[in-house]
Amino acid sequence: MPLFGVRDVTPLLADAPLMEGLDTAPETLPGVEVLQVLFEISSAAMLDLLPRALSPTIPPTVTFVFWRCREGPFGPFSLAQVRVGCRAGVRPRGFPLRAYCDAEPAATALAARWGFACRPGAVRLRRFYDRIVGTVEANGRPVLQVSLLDPQIIVGVEVQYTANMNLARVRDGQGERVRLVQVDPEYTLRRVDRGRPQLDLFVPEAWRAEGVEPVYPVSASITLADITLPRIRYIVDPDVPALQGTEKVAP
Amino acid sequence: MKFGIFYEISVPRPWGPETEKTVYDRCLEQVKLADELGFDTVWAVEHHFLEEYSHCSAPELFLTACAMVTKRIRVGHGIVVCVPQFNHPIRIAERAAVLDILSGGRLEFGTGRSATWTELGGFQANPDETKKTWDEFVRVIPKMWTRERFAYQGRAFAMPERAVLPKPYQKPHPPMWVAVTSPGTELDAAERGLGSLGLTFAGFAEQEQKIAEYRRRIRVCEPVGEFVNEQVATVNFLFCHEDLAYGVATGRRLANTFNYLAAQLLTAREAYPTPAYPLPGLLPQLRQEAVGPGDPSGAPEGLCIGDPRRITEVIKRWEAIGVDQINFLLNALETVPQEEVLNSLRLFAREVMPAFKGRERLPAAAPPEGTPARTPMPV
Repeated sequence: MPLFGVRDVTPLLADAPLMEGLDTAPETLPGVEVLQVLFEISSAAMLDLLPRALSPTIPPTVTFVFWRCREGPFGPFSLAQVRVGCRAGVRPRGFPLRAYCDAEPAATALAARWGFACRPGAVRLRRFYDRIVGTVEANGRPVLQVSLLDPQIIVGVEVQYTANMNLARVRDGQGERVRLVQVDPEYTLRRVDRGRPQLDLFVPEAWRAEGVEPVYPVSASITLADITLPRIRYIVDPDVPALQGTEKVAP
Repeated sequence: MKFGIFYEISVPRPWGPETEKTVYDRCLEQVKLADELGFDTVWAVEHHFLEEYSHCSAPELFLTACAMVTKRIRVGHGIVVCVPQFNHPIRIAERAAVLDILSGGRLEFGTGRSATWTELGGFQANPDETKKTWDEFVRVIPKMWTRERFAYQGRAFAMPERAVLPKPYQKPHPPMWVAVTSPGTELDAAERGLGSLGLTFAGFAEQEQKIAEYRRRIRVCEPVGEFVNEQVATVNFLFCHEDLAYGVATGRRLANTFNYLAAQLLTAREAYPTPAYPLPGLLPQLRQEAVGPGDPSGAPEGLCIGDPRRITEVIKRWEAIGVDQINFLLNALETVPQEEVLNSLRLFAREVMPAFKGRERLPAAAPPEGTPARTPMPV
């Protein structure tokens, strides 16, 4: 059967947000710019990056994801995530290693309601004529810069965004538990541009991504989308294969 | 109705020194038996780098071995990847012709373009280009086979005038097919006069609609080859057992295992946004339909699992909506013991096949008026 991760999530819990209940109402973020840059990574550490519930993609991948939200229920904010591509059972997913957010109200809401492990950071998404550049600074030093080069609008394409499996401490009727919280937003795409991916700077330790070694650029896209953050429907025991360890918490 | 067996050649971990050889040996044993039992075709995929899911990267060799241990069963490429980074079109034409000769004119020639980033990225092929190169290849390969000498200046490749040798044993050339996974590819097949080699487990209603449109369009096609191959094949699972409940349970295990493996693949569309791989034409997602809600026996609609009676009824429905050939996956990750696979084939041949054989058997294809006659199939 497929390979499974071997990561003990205990050391990650210091970052994991506490979710007081799972009855999260959906929330729509209008007109979000979404930059996604995908790289293949070295397979050497692919199992060490994922909890035991998840299987790596073959080849293993990492996605650098930026959201720039100019308005909405949490006010303007920018978010950057580094996610390892994976499978939860038969479903394509991403396991976020860490996120940075530049606005405290948004970071608090994303953590408390959807389990995003957000740290404060300077997240910027800048458009140039020939490129779109995403940068993150944390504690005053640059920790990520990715670019989409030569953007070209493409039509008739749905970018496939995979759901997050956010590691969180969940408090519900069964007490406090450590779970992977499935967050599968709906994206209504208004425009899609594609370009060449480029990784200019990546500091793995700033992302809890030791072992992530991007080796092969695959794709870069930027979309304009309305994003609806969903009601939480599934949570997964991080230490049990997802086919056995998935629990439905809402219809 | 024709019946085939279809090989991905799925190899379970752990991969010891004998594992792959054991799986290949078992496949050949199944093929030999299928030949004796009257199955019509053995198909083999071309996949690369797909760990556990498919270790069938050199199908021309596997199919040659199949031909060497059988007498009658046809051997089918299901498919050859028509992307230049994978296969140069001249090499495709040459290898296929040799296989046709060695098999005594038993080759079915399926074409396609790969659907996973794992493979496309591995060969550094551009997903935007694969449909274009496939179209180019299927137009030139029959010319390489039928013209004494051939020269070409095209988009994906060029060649000065040369004799591409040898020529296929079947005249004018083997029947040509295209793998149909993405929606709309069945129309590509029809417009080019190619057989529709279905590789997904869509339900009856969806298939019926596709087949009707295929039949309608192929009537006015411009064939890329020397004749029109109007045939619709679909893929299915097979586990046939005297006991319905055991047959369904084992068949579901087979389908679930296969689907689980398929879902682990990194599809082209997931990795690389492109209109060339549109939603929802993803092979793994469509294959999930194979484990959808079932009938009262617990078997998903349209799957050939269970006892002979249930399987016969299912095949009758496939036949009624216009399917000409069903190709069966027999195993995945060796989840079904070899002896049970062989017994399933025997029982199917004994109890199910007679309900469909003995009727008129169409030739694989018929040349249009004015084209040279083909060598009769050695059936």
